[in-house]
Formats: sequence, structure tokens, C-alpha cells
Amino acid sequence: MRHRFSGSMITVTIATAAVCAIISVSVTRSSGQAVRAARVDGKPNFSGIWQANNEANWDLQAHAALPAAITQPGIYPYEYARVPAAPVLALGAAGAVPGSLGVVQGDGQIPYKPEALLIKKDNAEHWIDRDPELKCYLPGIPRAMYMPYPFEITQSTNKIHIAYEFSNTARTIHMDKVEGPPDDMWMGHSVGHWDGETLVVNVTNFNDRSWFDRAGNFHSDALRLVERFTQMSSDIIRYEVTIEDPKVFTRPWRIAMPLYRRVEPNMQLLDFRCNEFVEEFMYGGLRKQQLVKHWEGETLAIDITRKVPPGDRLYQWYGK
Amino acid sequence: MRTRLLKLAGVAAVIVPALVFSKPTEVAIADQAPTASATAPAATPALKTPWGEPDLQGIWTDESDTPLQRPAKYANQEFFTEAQRAELDKERASLLGRDRRVERGTELDVAGAYNAVFLSLKHTGARTSLIVDPPDGRIPAKTPEAQKIAAADQQFRLALLQATETCKTKSVACNGGKYDPKTSPLRAELPPRYNTARMNRHDGPEDGALPDRCLTGGLPEFGTAYGGSFRRIVQTPGGISMFYDVGQGQGWQRNIIMNGSPHLPANIRQWFGDSRGHWEGNTLVIDVTNFSRKTDFQGSRENLHLVERWTRTGPTSLEYVVTIEDPTVWTRPWTVKQEFTKQSDEQNKTYYEPRCIEGNYALPALLLGARMEDLAFAEGRGPDPATKDNATDFVGVEENPLQ
Repeated sequence: MRHRFSGSMITVTIATAAVCAIISVSVTRSSGQAVRAARVDGKPNFSGIWQANNEANWDLQAHAALPAAITQPGIYPYEYARVPAAPVLALGAAGAVPGSLGVVQGDGQIPYKPEALLIKKDNAEHWIDRDPELKCYLPGIPRAMYMPYPFEITQSTNKIHIAYEFSNTARTIHMDKVEGPPDDMWMGHSVGHWDGETLVVNVTNFNDRSWFDRAGNFHSDALRLVERFTQMSSDIIRYEVTIEDPKVFTRPWRIAMPLYRRVEPNMQLLDFRCNEFVEEFMYGGLRKQQLVKHWEGETLAIDITRKVPPGDRLYQWYGK
Repeated sequence: MRTRLLKLAGVAAVIVPALVFSKPTEVAIADQAPTASATAPAATPALKTPWGEPDLQGIWTDESDTPLQRPAKYANQEFFTEAQRAELDKERASLLGRDRRVERGTELDVAGAYNAVFLSLKHTGARTSLIVDPPDGRIPAKTPEAQKIAAADQQFRLALLQATETCKTKSVACNGGKYDPKTSPLRAELPPRYNTARMNRHDGPEDGALPDRCLTGGLPEFGTAYGGSFRRIVQTPGGISMFYDVGQGQGWQRNIIMNGSPHLPANIRQWFGDSRGHWEGNTLVIDVTNFSRKTDFQGSRENLHLVERWTRTGPTSLEYVVTIEDPTVWTRPWTVKQEFTKQSDEQNKTYYEPRCIEGNYALPALLLGARMEDLAFAEGRGPDPATKDNATDFVGVEENPLQ
């Protein structure tokens, strides 16, 4: 067989191929949905199912498209001529990273302290090993707001629930007096108030484990957020976050993006209970009889072989 | 089903025992106080939302302990007498803090990582069973087919225990089985159907109980002996959201679809089912179907059908009635009723961050331990793993007269 991909055996620590395509929105008239109140208790009603439609979960900052989230040297010694690394190679274009103009406001830079910038770069190189998303850990805020999964806001007068499809995650925004949580949290502790027509949410009590994106952007447990939700139209929210973390950043910085209503008349959140999906990724090496044959201790050796399937017309044409 | 708990000493993981599905009530709650006094008791309580729907909002839990099924002792009695409740409270209070242990040094003793400290008991409830229908307060008989499935499952689990000390000493965990020093051939086979409960084998994650894998099932939710059972309800015009905080970090979310649309297509199965609701007067009625084949409630899986009825009955009270139906499992539907009491919003009793998998060191440790035992046996350094019981636990909850 001439035409097949045969990746050299590349060893990575606990590797997998995880791809989340940006979900395309098929816009339908929302006439079939329940009648939605424009306001709740005199305030703009943000209730409904929403989703970001951007590339922020890949990288908050502006970036050109990439062949894969992790790459290895190609035949040229240039950074811009790298090729997909073995763990994601078999995914073809589904493993590619779409380009983006970024969501970081102002000069588009994330003001890392010098030592923190080194950690960020190291994180990016070890994305598969370190990104909590791949282990189905709780995504944290703000990342949960722009992952490629929908979330549902249920807005009442004193509490606002946000349920996220990814990993069965949730948070409550307390609009009334409430005691803080007894511990730090992946999703933080959210306390909101109204600034005119804008919902302002202060989020604190974070742990230091969630990331901002798949590019390794991170924070410490000193993270504090101020989120602002403003109605741009009945189906679009302007979502803006001021990010402050004196242990990691030299100054506060901001991201902003629209959140779009999922207007399909039959839209609802479905299960995405991914901790089950990642059991093989996390515990496969501990099986009595391994399903993946190249676990060596905690190291998964990936040997990628792709046979051209019979009936692939292009390959058959080439093979003539 | 017996209580089965983790047996790894020092386990800090957020693991909840397998009895989530099978055990009623018995929730560990400290200083529960209704919030009646917190919200202007003199004024007429607002039981409607500002937009006119019945107001079910707040954090709710069952503040008393009631057995799911009526104990034989109270066969003809729907309610306890006051004297009986006082006596039961006294009896059960004496269970606390005893740190009861079985014979020192036995496998069961070593397995007792959880003891009575984990079992704060609540006051005995008014009813002798959560089940209000059938009138005998018992789960209806299983269909012959369901009995066959349950028997095959039990035989499989007992076969994995047959060569262990648990069966040799005729422990209750071996009831229905018998000691046989030979390794059962079933040890190398798959269970009769997808495993959901603890078994004495740890060949891979699927041999673990669902809660050990952070895959606790969702509904119906009656609480367990080892963790709270809270639900916070938030409403918006035409929408209802419920956040559950249950077990130990195994909460989940429900968004009730209120637009009158039909259930999901049959090929979409969900761990927490598909909840479609509507109002009947002041009662929220929710129909739940489309459960995953990997869930198990008392033997019922993908055909489980729930009809829940939520009614606000007072400023601090909410009635929850659920009819449970699965014609492939039970010979008739059955109904459970709970009274929920409103909890303090300000104290934010519901702490829902279902971060189970993030702290689940126990599952890989259990698997790694099993691999080490395999290796030791293969090298002639250790006993045959088939003769060791790494599944049965003893915590003393069995002695609770309400269990």
C-alpha cells in the first residue's frame, strides 16, 4: 500500500486526540419557542440557551490557523513549517486550529509577568498533559462561557442559574446576600448586581487549576473577575470580563465577545458527561488487559497507522 | 443491596457509595434549621413568583429520616406514633460515634475506612415508609424476567467472592452464595449486563461502581447515608432550573423543558433522563424518560419512567411525589412521597460544585493496587487475588432500625 499514513512512533505522556469542532448554528425562526418575557423584575431577561461562536477556547489571543494544537518539526527547520504531531495526526483537518483575531481587548496582549509567561509557554507545549479540559475537569470561569458547548441561563430575582452542557458544570450567581463558600472552587463564587441595564458579576474564590484556553493561558488562586452582561439585541449578549491576578499578570486586562442565543425551536441542553469519555485516557494504563497496547507504565506510546479504506475513490484514482 | 464503601485508607476522594441507587434518606446534615424565621413570618408568604407562577424556589431537603420501604415490624402502620418516633430517635442516636468495628485485623475491619462519624442521623420522620403506594409501603414484586436478570447479576457477584474470607466466614455479604476455594471461571468473564455496582474484581474502570467512577445516577433522588440531598430551584418566566447537590460532590443539573414539546428521540439516552414539565394548578408535573442504559435504579434502566409532582405547601414546605414505573421490571407502578423543608439561602447550604473526577484518586489507586496484587501473585510473592475481598465493607449502617 503506497498511500497510507504511517506515523513514526512518538511517545507522549498520556495522550489522546480530543477535538471539538465549533458547532455550526442553523438559524431557524424562533416562533416555535415558548414566549419569552423581555424583562424579569424590571431587568433585562437573559434567560435562555446561549453559546459563543468564536475561537477563544483555542487561544484568547489573535493567532493564525495551525495544522494542529500540537505539532512536530516538518522537513524545514522553520516554526511556520511544522506538521501535526502523532497524537492528533490521525484526525486530519478535524485536528486543525482555526485562526482568530482574538478576544483580548486593547493591544491584544495578555500582560504576563516574565516568569509567568514562561509557564504559559511551557503549558502550551504540554497541552495534552496539562489542559484540564482534556481530563473533563470543571472548566472554570470565564472559559465555560466560550467553550464550544451551549449553556442555559435561568434568571430569577435573587438568583441566576447557569448550567453548562460541558461536564455537567454549573454556577449560581447570587444577586442577594450570601455567605462565601467554605473552600476555593473551580467555578468560583459569583455575586451579581445591576448597573443600569448591565448585569455585573464579581467572581472570586477560584482555585489555581483551571485554564483560559487550550493555548496554556492560566491564572493563580488570586484570580478575580468582573463580568458584564449587556443586551445587544434580544438574541445577542455583549459579554465582557475584566481579569485581575496580581500573582500572574502585571495589570488587569479584558476580554469581550458576543454570546448568541441558540434560537432553534427545539433547542435544549443534552448530556455531555465527559468524565466517562476520558476514563481510557486517564486510567487505560491500569487495566488488567489493556485496550491500547502501548502503555508503558503511565506513558502511552501512540503508533499511528491509517489504512486507506476500500472505496476511497481519490486514493484509488491515484493508485492507478 | 449491602452498603459498599471505599476501602482505601486515606481516601480523600469525593466518592459516594454504591447505595446511592438503593438506600433511602439518612443524610449527614449538621445544624439544619428551617428558614421560617428568616423571612418575615408575620406577613402573608408570597407563594407565587412576581410573574404569577407557583413559587418553588429555594434550597430544599428532606429533614427527617424515613425508610424507603416499610419495615416488617410496622406492617400495618402508615405513620409512627410519637412514642415510636422518640424511641427510634433514641435508639438511632446511640449508633452515632460508637466507631463500631468488626473483629480486628480481618479484611472487613481493614475495609472500614468509613465509620459512624460519616453517618449523622436525622430525626425519625412521621411515615413508616417513603413509599405511599402500594399501600403496604413496599416496592412491588419484580416481573419474572427482571427476577431472572437480578438473580444472574447476584450469582455473578457472589461467584467473585466465593474463594474469599468473606464467604469462608459466612459474612452477610456472601448471603445466597457459599465458600469454594476454587476460583470461579466467571472471574474472567463479563457480568451479565453493564456493571453499575461494586464487584470483587478491578480489571478496569468498568468493574467499578458508577459512583466510584463519578458517574452517579440522577433520578429519582432520595438521598444516601453519606451525603446531603439538596436541590436548589430557580425559576424564570416559562423556565425552571434545578441544581442538585448530592452525595459527596456528585451533583448535577436539570433544566425542565416547559414548552410542551415531546420527549427526545428514543436514540438519545441521558444519565439524568429527559425532563418535560407543565403546571397542573399549583403543581409542577415533570415527566422523565430517555434514561441511559448505563443507569440503574433498583434494577430499572433505560425503561425507567418517572412522573414527579412538586407542590409548594407552605412558606417553608414543598411536597414531592414521584411515581416510578417500568413494566419490564415491576408488576405495577409505585409512588414515593417526601416533604422538603426550605433551607437558608443566606447560608448557601447548597454547595454545588460537582468536582468528583478532579479528586478521584481512589479509582486509579484501586486499579493500581489490583495490578500490584496481580504482579505479586504472578511472581509468587502474594496470594491469589481471587481469594481477597476488595469489595465488601462494613460501616454499621446495617444496624440502623430504619434501614
